[in-house]
Formats: sequence, structure tokens, C-alpha cells
Amino acid sequence: MNAAGPNQFIADNDTRTFLQKFGLRIFLVFIAAVFLYFATTTDHYLTLDTLKAIVRDAALVGIMAIGLTFVTLSGNFFLLSMKETAALCIIAFAMGMANDYGFILSLAGAVAIAAMAGAIQGALIGLGGNPIVVTLGAAGILYGLAAWWSDNLVISYRRPHDAEWLGTGSLFGIPNITVAFIVIAIVAEWVLKKTSFGRQVFLIGANRAAGKATGHENFSMAIKVCIIASICCAFVAVAFSAQLSSAQANYFSSEFGSAGDYTILVIATVMVGGNSIMGGYGSTLRTSLGAVFISSVDYLMVLKGFASGARVLSVGLMIVASIIIFAYLRRGSRSEG
Amino acid sequence: MITLFKTWVSRDPDLAFAILLTVLLYALFAFSNPLFFTPGTHFAILERFAVLGLAGLALTLCIIAGEIDLSIGSNAALSAVLVVRFADEWGAVNSILFGVGIATLIGLCQGYIIAYLKVRAIVLTVGTLMLLRGVALFASEEKTVMLTNFDMPDFIQTKFWIFFSPASITVIFLFIMVGLFMRYTKYGREIYAIGGARKEAIASGVDLKRPMMIVFAISGFCAGMCGAIIGLRSGTAQPLALQYILLVATVAAFIGGVSILGGKGGVIGALVGTLAVNFLNTGLVFEVTPAYEVQIYLGILLLTVIIFQTMSVLYEKRRLRMSLLDDTDRARENLRATWRGKHNQSI
Repeated sequence: MNAAGPNQFIADNDTRTFLQKFGLRIFLVFIAAVFLYFATTTDHYLTLDTLKAIVRDAALVGIMAIGLTFVTLSGNFFLLSMKETAALCIIAFAMGMANDYGFILSLAGAVAIAAMAGAIQGALIGLGGNPIVVTLGAAGILYGLAAWWSDNLVISYRRPHDAEWLGTGSLFGIPNITVAFIVIAIVAEWVLKKTSFGRQVFLIGANRAAGKATGHENFSMAIKVCIIASICCAFVAVAFSAQLSSAQANYFSSEFGSAGDYTILVIATVMVGGNSIMGGYGSTLRTSLGAVFISSVDYLMVLKGFASGARVLSVGLMIVASIIIFAYLRRGSRSEG
Repeated sequence: MITLFKTWVSRDPDLAFAILLTVLLYALFAFSNPLFFTPGTHFAILERFAVLGLAGLALTLCIIAGEIDLSIGSNAALSAVLVVRFADEWGAVNSILFGVGIATLIGLCQGYIIAYLKVRAIVLTVGTLMLLRGVALFASEEKTVMLTNFDMPDFIQTKFWIFFSPASITVIFLFIMVGLFMRYTKYGREIYAIGGARKEAIASGVDLKRPMMIVFAISGFCAGMCGAIIGLRSGTAQPLALQYILLVATVAAFIGGVSILGGKGGVIGALVGTLAVNFLNTGLVFEVTPAYEVQIYLGILLLTVIIFQTMSVLYEKRRLRMSLLDDTDRARENLRATWRGKHNQSI
């Protein structure tokens, strides 16, 4: 993939088996073949409208997943509080809209709350707390706050409001939320690849000791990446609320809608994209493609007439398969995670 | 007597703190609400303990081994669905064996994959979390499954000896068995070893696969039993339910004195931690607190414990570094003194 230089050094004593060398390519070709077969044999699938719908569906989960990719790449695993952060933000936004504060102020409120939640979690993680346990606790608090603030009721606001352009508007026939997804994906990729901040993320994720030795502590990095992830949650919450003109604390839980738990879907997207969960390897482009892939498989299953159980099952299979395949491929090259 | 107490506290301060917290919580609710201090309430607490205790035990063992099993909620839901669905056709005992057996098998496979691929458990179990939900949805055909014959729910909740029911007796028995296993067998010690010092354990010849499979099999078994008891007690099972169990079990495990670094804690800690969560839960229910507010308290409790633990690790590291610096200073001083002595002599 990249320059042949480093590979020449290990070419002589490369202990990887044939399957480990070419397995991923074979697997990807196989998946593509299966996918193409079903895509061409399903009616109304290979149309421009379907493509637009797929990318629009992928957008909400995709934006959150792009935020989470920063956390994962920096070696802090993942946040289990994604959907709860979004729940608190959606309530904050809807409260603002219902009390006529206007779009800008409500958005600012939601983003501020998200940044605060992210900063606190990031600080705890950076001090050495386990990301999973910290965000599990934070998830309980955030969801509780969201439900308590809204009395666990639906908050709705009247239809002609100034957030409509984000929820249901479109630009040259492309929904605005899709445009936002594409813009965020490009910006995130640029930040990761071209700025010094992006390189620091990769450095700390790949080798925390080296990062510390060169003066890049995980403390400030954890705070930064958690704030990025939380602000992405806030943006998704605002867009989702603008679509429905309402909000409730459980809009992102699996009890609402058939898509399943948002947190797990977001983590699934990051994993299916093929980012290393231990950090240091991957890109937001992979995450975006993962989101589009999951969404297109989901759409295909909907057209084939599968119920929600089978779709949740298929996403679960995708995650487990990607974990096992990537772990197997790295088994030869890395002694221990 | 007092010296004995002192040595016990200094040997296991986490457990002492957990017991203190539990007793305080109990006393708080017992004094603030006269309704709390009745046999009926204690029966209800033990009934709830039957469910949460198993989840807490499962997570405690995983954290002792240095890993976290995120899939216990899904595993329990799957087991509940299977048990309730087949209870009418096959009889309750067979369906319990089937459901719990499947859950144990799932845990065993998870443990094997984790040890074979050398991945972290959180990575794999977050995948199985979703996969098992899908299987549960599939197995229940996305509906709430229900019993038609209510003999078993009645049997499970029969009250005897004032406080106990068959469910809670079974769970207490399981606690004793797992406690003995962890304390007195080689396999139990291996689990502690791979948690506290994995590299050293592997270097001294522990095969990672065996303890990992045992831990995750027990975790799967506990999750399965938990699901079976909940399913049979209420007579219904929902494929999307039981998500809250992970948070409750984590809080219980951390109050019980496990360390996220692994190798610490024990079955008694799991018991005490679960009881603390239980008292809090039951007491708050008496004060008419909605479920989401209980979540806030649980989250705050968990974060507090984590902050304390992180701070103590940081403090310990700092103390170690300081004492190391002190030692080098002293050694340098000594060296200088001897050198000076020699120098003076030679002059």
C-alpha cells in the first residue's frame, strides 16, 4: 500500500502465512462478489434514489462514528456513552427550540453541554481511568439527566421552525444531512492526515510510551478526542431532532425504531470500517465507508423483506467477523495487543 | 479481638470499605423508612439479589481476570427468551438446562476466541453484545414471549424460612461454590494470576486458554441463570430487555473492591457490592424514585469509585518514584562519604 521501503526489511523473515498475507484481499473480493450478486438480483436496488437513501441513512450513524474514530485511533478504545450524550443534547436542543431561543442558541447550548460532558469523561480517561468503565458510569448519569430534565416525555415544537433546513432541506436534490456527512468526513480526514494534531492522535494511539517520551501526554489528547466525539453526538442529535421536530431521551435507544442501539451501531461502524481498535491504525475514510457499507446491506435486507431481528443479527455478524479477521491477520505481526 | 480486626482491615481495606458502605446504606434506609425494616422487604431484597448478584458475580470474575464481559446483558436476554419459549413444550427443567447450557457455551467460545486471537475481551464482547441481541430477536420472532403454564413462576417464588425462595437459595449456593472454586483450586488461582500479572503467569507456564475459557464460561453461566430466573419469575421475556444489568453489575463489582487492572477482589466482595447496590435500589424505590434517577445515582457511585481508584494508583506511582529517588540520593550520599573518607586517608 504505502512505500515499499519498510516492507523490504521484513521480506526475508516474514513469518506470516499465505492466508495472513492475502486473506484480507480474498475476503474483500468474496464479500464484493456476494454483495454484487444480491445487488443485481434485487429489483429497484441499483438506482440513484436508493444510493441517495443509503447515504442519507448512513449519515447520522456515520457522523457519530467519525467522531468516535478519533477516540479509537488515539488508543482509548471507545465511548459507551455516545447515545446518552446524544440523548442529553437532543433534550437540550428541543428545550431551546420549544422555548423559542432560536436555532443558533439551541445548537450552541447542545454543543456546550456535549463539550462539557466530553471534557469531564476525557479528563477521567486521561488520568488513567478505564475508558469503558468511565463512560459506562457517565452513560448512566447522562441518560438519567436527560430523562429527568424532560420528565421522560416527548418535547415537540411547531413545524415552521428555523432548524428545518438541516432536518429535511436539501441542496441540488441532495439532502442537507448527506452534505453535512460528506463535508465532515472530508474535514476529519484532512485533520487526521494533514495536521499536526492528527499525527499526534496516531502517535499516541500507536505507542503511548513514545508519545509520553516526546511530550504528548494522553491526558490532553483524551480530553480533545472525547470533546470531538461528543460534539459529533451533539450535531447528530440536533439533526435528528430537526427531522422529527421533537425529542425524547430514548430516541437513540433500541426501544425506539428498529435500527438498534446507537452506541453499538456506532462502534460497529468503526470496527467494520477496519480501524484498529487498539489505536494507531485506521482512518475516518474507512469509518465513512463502513457506515455506507452497513447501511447498504441494511437496505438490501429491507428490500429482500427481512425483519429487524435478522438485520441486527447481520450487523452483529459483521462486527464479530471484522474483529476476528483483523485479529487473525495481525496475529503474526504483533505479539500481543 | 481488636488486633484481629485491625489486621483484617489493613489486609483488605477495600472489602472493609465496601462492608462499611453497605452497612451505612442499610442503616440509612432502615432508619429513614419504617417500611424498609420488615421481613417482606428483606424477602424482596433477596429476590432482587438473586438476579443482580449473578450479574455482579459474572462481572467480578471477569474483572479479576483483567477483562470485561460487555455481553452479559444480551446473553441473559437470549437465555431468558430460550427458557421461556421452550418451557411449555419441554418442561421447565429441560428448558432451563437448554437455555443456561447455550449461554455457558457462548461464554466458553468467547473465552476461547479471546485467548486464541489474543484480542481484548471488550473488543470481542461489544460485537457479541449486538450479535446475541440479534439472535434473541430471531429466537423470539421479535415478540415478547410468554408462558402459558404458571406452575414454575409460582414454585420459584414460594417463600420459605421467611426470607428465602428457591431462586435466592440457588444463587446463594452458586456463590458459595464459586467462592470455594476461586479460593481453593488451582484453576481459581490461575484466574487471579492472569489478571494481576498476565505476562508473568504466561512466562511461568499458565496456558492463557484454560483460565480464560473457565472465566467466560462461568460468566456465561451466571448470565444464563440470571436470564432464566428473570424469565421464569415474570413468565415473560423480551429480546431487548436487561440492558441495565451491565451498569448495575459493574457498580456492584467495583464497590466490591475489584481493580480494573485485575487480580484483585473476590466472591465476598461481589456479594457485598451487590448488596450495597440492592439496598440503594430498594431504598430509592421506597422513596418513589423513577428508574432513570436511580441510574444517575449508580453512575455517580461508579465514577466516584473509579476516581478513588485512579487517584490511588497515581499516588502509589508517585510514592514509588519518590522513594526510588530518595534511595538513589542516599546511595549517592554514601558513595560520596566513602570516597571522601578514602580521599582523606590517601592524602
